[in-house]
Amino acid sequence: MVSALAERFCWAKARRIFETYSLAKASGNLLKTEKFQNSRNRALLIGGGLIALLLIVLAGAAMLGAERLPLFDLNEQQRSILYDIRLPRILLGACVGASLAVAGAGLQSLLRNPLAEPYLLGVSNGAALGTMLAFVFFQSLEVTRPLLAFAGAGLATVAVYRMAKSRAGMNVERLVLSGVIVTTFLSSVIVMLTTLLDAAKLRSFTFWLLGDLSQATRNGVYLSLGAVIVGTVVLTSQARALNLMMVGERDAFDFGVEVGRVRILVFGASSLVVGAAVAASGSVGYVGLIVPHLVRLSVGSDNRLVVPFSAVAGAIFVVFADTIARTAIAPRELPVGAVTALIGAPMFIYLLRRN
Amino acid sequence: MFRVKASKASTVIFIRNALFFPSIFDARESRAFCFAKRGRVKAKVKRQKAKLIVVLAMLVLAGCRGGANSNAANSATSTAPTRVVMDDLDRQVTLPVKVTRVVSTAPSVTENIFAVGAGDRLVGVTTFCNYPEQAKEIAKIGDTMTPNMESIIALKPDVVFVSTASQIEAFMKTLDANGIAVYVTNPTSLEALYSNLEQLGIIFGTTDASTKLIADLEGREHEIWKIVGYPLHRDESLAAHDKRVAAVKVFVQISKEPLFTIGNGAFLNDLIVTAGGRSVTEQVESAFPKLSKETAAALNPDAIILSESDDNKEPNEVFKNSPAVKNGRIYKVNADLLSRPGPRLVDALEQIAKDLHPEKFK
Repeated sequence: MVSALAERFCWAKARRIFETYSLAKASGNLLKTEKFQNSRNRALLIGGGLIALLLIVLAGAAMLGAERLPLFDLNEQQRSILYDIRLPRILLGACVGASLAVAGAGLQSLLRNPLAEPYLLGVSNGAALGTMLAFVFFQSLEVTRPLLAFAGAGLATVAVYRMAKSRAGMNVERLVLSGVIVTTFLSSVIVMLTTLLDAAKLRSFTFWLLGDLSQATRNGVYLSLGAVIVGTVVLTSQARALNLMMVGERDAFDFGVEVGRVRILVFGASSLVVGAAVAASGSVGYVGLIVPHLVRLSVGSDNRLVVPFSAVAGAIFVVFADTIARTAIAPRELPVGAVTALIGAPMFIYLLRRN
Repeated sequence: MFRVKASKASTVIFIRNALFFPSIFDARESRAFCFAKRGRVKAKVKRQKAKLIVVLAMLVLAGCRGGANSNAANSATSTAPTRVVMDDLDRQVTLPVKVTRVVSTAPSVTENIFAVGAGDRLVGVTTFCNYPEQAKEIAKIGDTMTPNMESIIALKPDVVFVSTASQIEAFMKTLDANGIAVYVTNPTSLEALYSNLEQLGIIFGTTDASTKLIADLEGREHEIWKIVGYPLHRDESLAAHDKRVAAVKVFVQISKEPLFTIGNGAFLNDLIVTAGGRSVTEQVESAFPKLSKETAAALNPDAIILSESDDNKEPNEVFKNSPAVKNGRIYKVNADLLSRPGPRLVDALEQIAKDLHPEKFK
């Protein structure tokens, strides 16, 4: 009976591989058909639309703020407000949004899990802990913060992956469970650290942990921008392999994908972008979860489109949320993490029910 | 209830106010009016109400004792004579007539209790309580945010002093079950601080010390008035007042990154006005808001006061073009002085007044 089951399983698998393979082969012939042209046009349209929307949101965000600035003829102080305070913050928001969204898109495809997200998997918390340690031990060396954040994010990713993987393979429940365990463990370490730190440092950390873009500097923007460009390029270059890995690691291996290398590249790239984002702005939740899903709902699940589109959509989302955080109760400010969750959850539920 | 003070300051105000509003008799009352803040008037009324209740309770007790004098020695048991006092939330708190063991859950309360000469009755303080020196020797009950209930109960206090109403409900239930009273103190201005000290004097039976202390603190505050300028008169506009005392536009920086300051709910606003300044953020909602950097960059304060701590040693970058930074008018004030409504608030007042108006103190 066991052998019968095994046989059946093998057949099912073989059929799946065959179907996938013939689909892949057929897609070659599809290149010139009308349907493919349509889908390509659709993708181009959506991509163009997203970029246009990003430009509109960036321009809108640059015009809105706690201080009212005229469009032309800025005096010295107004120029300083625009160039030293507002623009760095907007650009940092865009980089952070893009980072978290591409990391989410990459991890979801690699782990074949719709719930994989930097925040839920503990990657963000790993980066946060790294940043805190850098703050405690190398206070004067600001360079160490993104470095340790990167290290923390990487370690958390590897820990979750190792915990989730068993001899029987990796299933959804196991991955989510290990993510939750790593997240709660790291959170408790962070809470311990904040308790041991003195009250003055504690105050800045509690705000930072909720996601705070107000500490944007030009150097921070350059760093995040560099990280997100590298990360997006790496993840997009692995998109074809990720498409195959979504079917299954074994199957991808059979198709000649170097599974181990792809895994390392995707984990490394997501740790890099999440580390840079968290070191700059704390933990902005929800972006990595909802943005890739929204993108998939509109362009399908081809990672060659999902990864770069997620970067643009994530930037739009965070810049939009941060504009609300900056202006809703001006001259006071809301933490941007609260706003992303507040907008993100209802939007996601609506789209999920509609489709 | 009218008290006429025979100091020069109050005489001037008395004459000025008597012309317009004959029922105002002393300087303190005129202050209450000039700021038109109900809190102050309320504090005054409350103080009188509380006194009345204490007096009534004493009378009742005196009546009881007349008949059963032999029981007086037995006061340590549960039949110890009690009295009712009002705390700052207008709650009625039942206390033993002789309060001997108390716990403080805030550094400001500890300072106040020491200041009215009852420091020896403190059996438990928080880990934040670092002033005066003797406070460090007293048993610790955790910090203000997370006081340890077991340590408090084990100390068997007559009353626990709580500084704000944040955790009061959970606190009340547990302490009530153990027969321990909770007294809430929440002074939000110099005026409320004086009435608070007076209350503590009544509670501990150290009215001599507290009266002397209040007279001393008020005297020092009035000295500042004389030098810097008298408080806002009730029919004077804010602008006219600020012009008369040459008020300096002050930004109070509580923390550098993220940028926290004081808003309209902070008691420091009055302190700064008395010191001859005006907080540029006094219209912002809430007591300690996180301020938008854009707004901060457009404030152009003439002076910046730093609440001195590790992460707040210099003004935020956004002030680099403000007159305060250009003229080097950055003043550090001990954060403990600014954050604790205790007798050292007057030290802060004197320091800020001297910083803002060095020319007037020559």
